[in-house]
Amino acid sequence: MENALGLSGYQAIMMTVVFALGLLGIAGLLLAVFWPKRWRLKYRMEVGFVVLLLGLAWYADNQSTAIFTQYQSAIRESGTLSAEASTPSGQFDRELRVIAFQWGFAFLTDQNEISRSAAIVKPGEKVLFRIFSNDVIHGFNIPAVGITAEIEPSQEGSAVWIRAPKEPGKYLIQCLNYCGIGHAQMKAWLVVEGAEETPEA
Amino acid sequence: MANPLDAERMGGLPHWEPSNVIGEMTLRDLLFSHDYRHIAIKGMLTSIVMLALGGLMAMLFRTELALPDIQFIQARSYMSLMTLHGMLMVFGFAIPLVISIMYYMIPKVLGTERLLWARGAQWSWWMLITAAVLLIISRPDFTWTFYPPMSLRVVGNLAWMGYVAIILVALSEMVAGAVLFRNGWAAKGRFRTMPLMGWAALSEGLLLMLSTPVLGLVGALMLTDWLQLTAVFDTANGGSVMTFMFLFWFYGHPAVYLPLVPAIAILYTLMPRILGKPMWSYWSAVIAFGLLTMLSFVVYPHHFQPAETVAGPIQRATQILTLLIFIPSTMHVFNWIATLWADPIPVSARRSIPFSFIIASIVFLILGGVTGYVNAQIAVDSDFIHNTYWVPAHFHAMFVGFVANMAMAGVYYLYPYFTGRMFNQAMARTHFWMWQIGIFTKVMMMYVLGYAYFPRWVVDYLPLPEWSIPQMLLTGGAYLIGLGFIVFVFNIILSATRGQKAVGDPWPVEHDIAGQTAATPAE
Repeated sequence: MENALGLSGYQAIMMTVVFALGLLGIAGLLLAVFWPKRWRLKYRMEVGFVVLLLGLAWYADNQSTAIFTQYQSAIRESGTLSAEASTPSGQFDRELRVIAFQWGFAFLTDQNEISRSAAIVKPGEKVLFRIFSNDVIHGFNIPAVGITAEIEPSQEGSAVWIRAPKEPGKYLIQCLNYCGIGHAQMKAWLVVEGAEETPEA
Repeated sequence: MANPLDAERMGGLPHWEPSNVIGEMTLRDLLFSHDYRHIAIKGMLTSIVMLALGGLMAMLFRTELALPDIQFIQARSYMSLMTLHGMLMVFGFAIPLVISIMYYMIPKVLGTERLLWARGAQWSWWMLITAAVLLIISRPDFTWTFYPPMSLRVVGNLAWMGYVAIILVALSEMVAGAVLFRNGWAAKGRFRTMPLMGWAALSEGLLLMLSTPVLGLVGALMLTDWLQLTAVFDTANGGSVMTFMFLFWFYGHPAVYLPLVPAIAILYTLMPRILGKPMWSYWSAVIAFGLLTMLSFVVYPHHFQPAETVAGPIQRATQILTLLIFIPSTMHVFNWIATLWADPIPVSARRSIPFSFIIASIVFLILGGVTGYVNAQIAVDSDFIHNTYWVPAHFHAMFVGFVANMAMAGVYYLYPYFTGRMFNQAMARTHFWMWQIGIFTKVMMMYVLGYAYFPRWVVDYLPLPEWSIPQMLLTGGAYLIGLGFIVFVFNIILSATRGQKAVGDPWPVEHDIAGQTAATPAE
């Protein structure tokens, strides 16, 4: 499954860093308590550790920003958002307008065909979702491709794009922001069907 | 070589003579006395009642969540339980308990011998209790963040009580902040030797006094919006949700530090007391308090950064500043570990219950804190972190693993001072292990669920194995925490009359020199 933000490798690095730092801290603490040997740390060690953390912060900021900026640039190039109509920008294989409401999702194609609770796409397609809320704040999350947006009720809306999974099937779309008592039922499906689009020679 | 100022920085030792303060209190004392011990005991007792209530609610919805589908709690009742659980635990338990412990400790540790502006602390308690009663009566179901316009539309006729309660919570916390700041400020002219609890009082005072007026404003505007007198946050009538977000989280993020800073202060007070030596670095702790206070006010947009409105330079700046929170948090942890490493741990510390809770709380602060590194990053946040169980995993590690454990260290430490008796060691040890295993299971399962995109605030979920198995284990962990709490309550009630009498210093520092290795020479 392709991560929408292209995070797979980077995320593995980040989780390794988190795990290593956590292990270092907990091991240091438990050794300090249970190991008989004593060790008076020098103040410069703390300074060194802070410098290491600053380096990690710098790395994370650069990488995260680069990944997110690259992801967002494709959306920016596709033009402004509008709930009323959508003109395909050509950047994506498919563009869908999504209306998030209490408690469901409606998907509109550029031919204004509407589908309640199912976004139908082809395997491997590059799909843009322009998401609007007409009532309260909602979330839009597709776990299979790892993307989340928070949508405030406004005319501007929000947008995310994904590369559809190559395996045909039904993939969960869910709201992640509490939006009222029907929040748990606010689900839809990304339906991947048909043959994979092959690029023209 | 030891710093000549260390003795003063550690605070007065030992702090009090054990006495049955709680047994000699009348109901009138409990309700209206301005004696700092009475106010603090009252705060601790009511916080423990709130913990019991909030915990009972958690047991109910955890039982419901153990299996997919709806078993016995419907959506509205579930959200009421969830909302009250969050509000009672944060506003009623975590923040007031550690602040009450500070009220008890400050007069002796800072040498003021009384709580300055105790009347303010008294008012703060009464406002908080009124707020808690209003909240419980109104049974709001809009989560503790009550995002409009949802919260303006879905709640019942008693919603106004919820908004009045929020205003009262803000006032209560603001006054508590003023009390703490006043007591910390009393050391003016001798800041270089002020025990670290004094610096924490200044930090906590500033956090409370600067953030809570905004919460009060938000509560008032929500009330007038709900009454349809204004439409500041109601988008259907020209209001702005983003105005709410920026205002609410200006309080909401510092609110995360409101229980954290006093818990750190308790740690800085108990650790030198139990180890019988000063902290590794005094100034590192002071700088860390300062940095944490400053950063807490400027990182709040990360709570809603996947929204389109938080973009560009605001988003980038928020990411950088959030990543920097790592620095003061790590400075504190580094200081604690370095203190533990420096000299042999006294045998008295190894067998003391407060020390065990301190060590466990540091483990959980690390476990919750390290994930801050990924939480801060826009790209990763827009994948699996925002509003999945990853977020409650992070804050339960901090609030339950660190703050509640440190609060327990404080309560067990103070227990002989206000009851005149020692608690039952075996029961306290049972409580300790039940909590640690339960909290660890809970936090780890929440992380696993978050990584599998389990959404927050749902009563019902799909029967996917990657969701249902961790949910079942998570419920088991919660039960263990509940059982541990019952053992704790039983212990403190029973030991108050049957415990061994405490005489002299209940926490003497005893070394077993023969079996311990001395440290290498200090820098």
